[in-house]
Amino acid sequence: MRRRQKHFLFGVFDDFEKARDVVSELKVLDLKEKVIDNIELYSPIEHPEVEEMLGEFHQPIQRFTFFGAITGAVCAFLLVAAAAQSMFTVQPQGGKPVIPLPMDIVITYEGTIMFGVYSTIVAFLIYSGLPRRLKKYYSQKVSEDQIGIEVQIEPAKSDKARAVLEKCGAVEIREVTQ
Amino acid sequence: MSDYSMKDIEWAKINRDVLASLESPRKEFWIVLSVCIFLVLCGAAAEVYQYNEGLGTALMNKPHYWQLYISNFVFWIGMSHSGTLLSAILLLTHADWRKPIYRFAEAMTLFSILTAAIFPVIHLGRVWDMYWVLPYPNERGIWPNFRSPLLWDAAAITTYATSSVLFLYVGMIPDLAICRDNAKGWRKKLYTALSIGWMGRASEWMAFRKTYVLLACFLVPLAVSVHSIVASDFAMSIMPDWHITSFPPYFVAGALYSGCAAIITLFVLLRYVFKFEDYMTTEIMDKTAKLTFAIAMVWNYLNLSEYASIWYSNDMFEKEVLLEKFFGPYHWVVWGMLLCALVAPFAMAFEKVRHNMWAMFWLSLVLQLGMWLERFQIVSPPLASNHEPWTWAVVWPGLIQLTITVASFGWFTMLFLIFCKIFPSVSMYEVKEMVFHRRKASSRTDMEDLDKVKNDMIKAEEGLS
Repeated sequence: MRRRQKHFLFGVFDDFEKARDVVSELKVLDLKEKVIDNIELYSPIEHPEVEEMLGEFHQPIQRFTFFGAITGAVCAFLLVAAAAQSMFTVQPQGGKPVIPLPMDIVITYEGTIMFGVYSTIVAFLIYSGLPRRLKKYYSQKVSEDQIGIEVQIEPAKSDKARAVLEKCGAVEIREVTQ
Repeated sequence: MSDYSMKDIEWAKINRDVLASLESPRKEFWIVLSVCIFLVLCGAAAEVYQYNEGLGTALMNKPHYWQLYISNFVFWIGMSHSGTLLSAILLLTHADWRKPIYRFAEAMTLFSILTAAIFPVIHLGRVWDMYWVLPYPNERGIWPNFRSPLLWDAAAITTYATSSVLFLYVGMIPDLAICRDNAKGWRKKLYTALSIGWMGRASEWMAFRKTYVLLACFLVPLAVSVHSIVASDFAMSIMPDWHITSFPPYFVAGALYSGCAAIITLFVLLRYVFKFEDYMTTEIMDKTAKLTFAIAMVWNYLNLSEYASIWYSNDMFEKEVLLEKFFGPYHWVVWGMLLCALVAPFAMAFEKVRHNMWAMFWLSLVLQLGMWLERFQIVSPPLASNHEPWTWAVVWPGLIQLTITVASFGWFTMLFLIFCKIFPSVSMYEVKEMVFHRRKASSRTDMEDLDKVKNDMIKAEEGLS
């Protein structure tokens, strides 16, 4: 089956204010004509004010952290308990606890943190969509001091979005179909 | 000092300056690196020499031969704590002055752990039998004994090392993308692989920020636990002068103290070698020095309270060891420690010292010497005088041991300098954020000042009319 082609406009701006203006204008355009599939912001630093305008991202990374940490705690506890059992059967001696709680607490603590950290990293990779290939129209100026706005739009109506980008002072506009 | 310094640096200049540090450091970089490589080679030669001549040349035939190696282990583990711990705490408390210095502090953590990890291996003597300590199915049916604090150490340090590496790596991804966009040749391939396709999209930034804060939340209690567990290696024994309740907080404070001193040393070194004068400013040094001074005072308090609690407990053995420390064969180590780590930090109370980079450099070296002596005086005197007289022995390190100790400093500095030559040692995106927010705050203050002037003028006009 042939994949549906996507059309992208990528505008580069030298100012967060301009980026904010262009996002709001594109939102108005979309409200009027329903032509835009997606808007994405590319920036050299995090900028919550503009990011908020793009809408909420559902990224429950903390849930991964929480369940990862619990899994780590359980696994570490069981590891120490099981190791104590193996010693118990090989070298049977009286007076040894079946489950040695004091040291179990220490190892459980470390296991909780270790698995918590690993699962947070896994969640980061999932929700940030990394690793991935660089997009064709990616501009390296975005990693320096400029802000990129990517607009996914129907090819026939890209002129309107381009006009918005130009009106808001885009330094450069790239157009790609892939 | 203005809170808005550094606000006028252009973002493109930040990229240029930091990327230039990867290409063209001052020639002193190569001199320091060569000295470090030479020291590492000396250490390797000393290690090989003892295998050829017999382990007795490294004093392995003495019962307390391990005192120097374990002192080094505790010293390097301690140094590793400050980098990540301070970076995480300052991140969570929104202290923006951490931004130009946290990257190298985290790298320092990683290389300190790698240096510390050498010593338990070396002190085994027959390093080729090291696999005996690993948990694997064997004919003797022996498994790790989790009752031993040494195994807690292994668990804690493994967790800390992996978590610190991930914290360092995640925090570096946006900068690796900048390097990727500007590099050529093998560097381009390396940065492309490590930046995993980061493009600075809003969704990436959001996930990044959440992840970074969550990791910081884990690292703070983890770092505290690791050095507490290292303290347990001593405190869980019944040796006089080791069996002390305040050892874990004392170790944590000592770790932070020596780590902060190391941050100051590397701060001045990097600032000069990589020409980072615009980023590693006097303002940041001032704050780092104040923090170090505060931690030094906490360490002083714990140190003195340890002496006081031993003295007032009136325990015969504890008191004997304490007196032996001050007036016995190791007395110069203890007095040296007190001079370097307890008295010297008071120099940081003076602004003139805090603002003089090279004065801070030499002072930080004195503090580190004091903290190294502290580790040595924790380990050695109780071995020379404890419950069992037949184990009493005063052992001074031999040439082989001292060479390996000095080589460990070369090993650490060599790894650190190589890291700084390959990866950006100043966080470019965080410095940009700092500049952005300071500029914003400054313009807001300017506007408020303008409003104030305007209101004053209106009031004056009203008064005149």
